[in-house]
Amino acid sequence: MSGADDRPGSEFDELRELTPAYALGALDEPDRLRFEHALESSAELRAEVEAFRAAAASLGESLPPLAPPPGLKADLFARLDTAPQERPAGGSGRPRSDYVAPVEPAPVEPAPLVDELAARRRRRRLAAVLSSAAALVLLVVGVVVGTNWVGPNGWGAQREMTALAEAPDAEQASADVPGGGEVTLVWSAEQGRSAIVAEGLPDVGDEHTYELWYIDESGAVSAGTFDVRGDEAWRLLEGEFASGTAVGITVEPAGGSPEPTTEPIAVIAT
Amino acid sequence: MLDPVVDDGEQLEVRSATLDELLVATAAGDRDAFSRLYDETAPRVFGLVRRVLVDAAQAEEVTQDVFLEAWQTAARFDPARGAATAWLLTLAHRRAVDRVRSAQASRERDLRTGIRDLEVPVDEVAEAAEIAVEHERVSGALAELSPAQRECLALAYYGGCTQSEIAARLDLPLGTVKTRLRDGMIRLRELLGVTT
Repeated sequence: MSGADDRPGSEFDELRELTPAYALGALDEPDRLRFEHALESSAELRAEVEAFRAAAASLGESLPPLAPPPGLKADLFARLDTAPQERPAGGSGRPRSDYVAPVEPAPVEPAPLVDELAARRRRRRLAAVLSSAAALVLLVVGVVVGTNWVGPNGWGAQREMTALAEAPDAEQASADVPGGGEVTLVWSAEQGRSAIVAEGLPDVGDEHTYELWYIDESGAVSAGTFDVRGDEAWRLLEGEFASGTAVGITVEPAGGSPEPTTEPIAVIAT
Repeated sequence: MLDPVVDDGEQLEVRSATLDELLVATAAGDRDAFSRLYDETAPRVFGLVRRVLVDAAQAEEVTQDVFLEAWQTAARFDPARGAATAWLLTLAHRRAVDRVRSAQASRERDLRTGIRDLEVPVDEVAEAAEIAVEHERVSGALAELSPAQRECLALAYYGGCTQSEIAARLDLPLGTVKTRLRDGMIRLRELLGVTT
């Protein structure tokens, strides 16, 4: 079964022997990497993988089906809006190769790093959760579990955040951040309070921080700083929120600045 | 704004469209087709993911991620090269195994593996196959494998173990495990008549 375009001799044969284990997902990491590298340039190996994968999938098909919880489908469909679909390359209708699918430059599915996927999942859940201010309460509870009472994200702040989210007049607006991420401002004129929820913002490191600003005709007044550790962050803004005020975010040297020293990465009008 | 995505009124039409057609339509952004595909295949996907991960909560997460990835990458599916179910299960298996191997999961791994040891007898592949009457072909093929081959296949596919992990678990030389896996898969492939 050795084609003319095969790798010469024993190395190819040896790789080929890894195919069944690869299809089972049982290769140890070094072998897997080596195999996937070879896969890119060998149609024969790809065909082999396909055949063995069909056999492996039959092991899956032989299992008794198990109905997932009913809510799972609704949760899934709520995520579709934020999950762009790949199109067949070149419009020729020819599907992209999926042999080493996650390794390819897929726009939406890079290597399946579980942490990253979990982060993305959280982010999408966040987007859905934010669709109602009342539901924000749940988010807040989920995000800050395990923190102290004091501090900008402590239990005290959490309670305020919950109160804000529950405010009958709570409103919110979101803005995309160029370079990645989205920020959502939640505010209540009645309570004179606002909070920012950031998702997917890059960590600006120890030397810098994000700073929040209340902006009106008279200029910008600092409303506190926050840092992103992980995928999500939220912060109650310091100072009194007044209706019509805009809220801006800049990147400042660690510790914050008395007035903005950089262009805002996002401004949200209220 | 959660639209009513579960439309049971469409159920009758489900059977008229094959899973392959539904997956192809999904690639074109057809949510109705995707909804039907989900209804038809989610129990298989969840059953597999749950078997690999054991933990129900993680299995639910991964199952959702599997279908999200299916939605996003359905364009890669080529009905000429295989069945939609196999495509989905391949994706599901990869994600489940990734999760098993993630650093996050590794902490509980020993515990889970221990549980699996108790729950999963050597012949478990064949056992599971017997339950699924509609897959007589598979169970028949599995019965043709040696118990040692079945054991290795089960640890790899359902246990998410790598070859060296299997060797350690069974206290066998790595070469023996490699041979059993390879021979078992080749035999299975022959028995199932999978060709390319």
